[in-house]
Amino acid sequence: MPKLEDEIVRRQRERAKITAWLLGAFVILLFFITMAKTGINW
Amino acid sequence: MPAIEMTTPAALPADWRDFVALTKPRVMSLVVFSGLCGLLVAPVQLPLVLSFSAILCIALAAGACGALNQWYESEIDAKMRRTAKRPLPAGRMDRQSALHFGVGLSFFSVLLMGLATNWLAALLLTASILFYVLIYTVWLKPRTAQNIVIGGAAGAFPPLIGWVAATGHFAALPLLLFAIIFLWTPPHFWALSLFVRSDYAAAGIPMLPVVAGFDNTRRQILLYSLPMAAAAVAPWPLGLAGAVYGISAAVLSFVFLVLAGRVARSRSTEPTEMGAEKHLFAYSVFYLFALFAVLVADAWLA
Repeated sequence: MPKLEDEIVRRQRERAKITAWLLGAFVILLFFITMAKTGINW
Repeated sequence: MPAIEMTTPAALPADWRDFVALTKPRVMSLVVFSGLCGLLVAPVQLPLVLSFSAILCIALAAGACGALNQWYESEIDAKMRRTAKRPLPAGRMDRQSALHFGVGLSFFSVLLMGLATNWLAALLLTASILFYVLIYTVWLKPRTAQNIVIGGAAGAFPPLIGWVAATGHFAALPLLLFAIIFLWTPPHFWALSLFVRSDYAAAGIPMLPVVAGFDNTRRQILLYSLPMAAAAVAPWPLGLAGAVYGISAAVLSFVFLVLAGRVARSRSTEPTEMGAEKHLFAYSVFYLFALFAVLVADAWLA
């Protein structure tokens, strides 16, 4: 069933993309949290 | 019928929108708002990024609770019209994904809260998740009509967590905010359960209107509204809030009591005729938003 396989791949790609964006955002957030906790001003 | 609609949930990965739906975004908004108010009325101002992180953690923990609640109650949700279209009962997601998502979000939110603010706030966040999932969802909800009364404590944590995230310690005002939400929860949920009683009865959940009847529930709504109104006004005479808050809280609570009184006098048994109950339910949501917003405004004016 090519239609089903296409849908599976589409959903997996979409979820992988969102996970990657969220992980990236988390890394940036963690960086700023560290800066704030150590009292470094910008 | 297209092939996709005939597949089992395990054959098709859940859509990301279903994961969002699992977090009960509408419930989350009130939780986030009350947590934010707890943070804003605290006498200590956190750096913006730490305040944002604290509120994010409260939101994620609320989402985790929603996901774990839907994981545990998927069979019950399938029996109720109001919840039958959720991702699990509708077959759009397998239960294991929901469980992993909920547990993952729980750990992540607690860890981030501890790193960004302090570990007392993280401990409170853990307690709120465990209270909601284990004490309310697993233990109380299917067993007793008092489920909402004791379970209301789970929803009352956010302003306390917000305050502790900012200050690192407890104080009288956030404990009063906890009490306000704790006492507000029964009238709010019982007003709803009056007009969706048949759903709860079909699912076998012992909500008060199912086990004690309409009249008893209506009396209990009024009974709980009285201490709730007293707790809402209390910060003013206790010197924890100013006159702007005190007068606003008195007016908002008076309207709440009037609507609760109308519910107590109502004798409708058909959901379509329960205008008073629907008004009280809608107003109760506005009431909590308005009360907390005025508290923040009052703190800023002072």
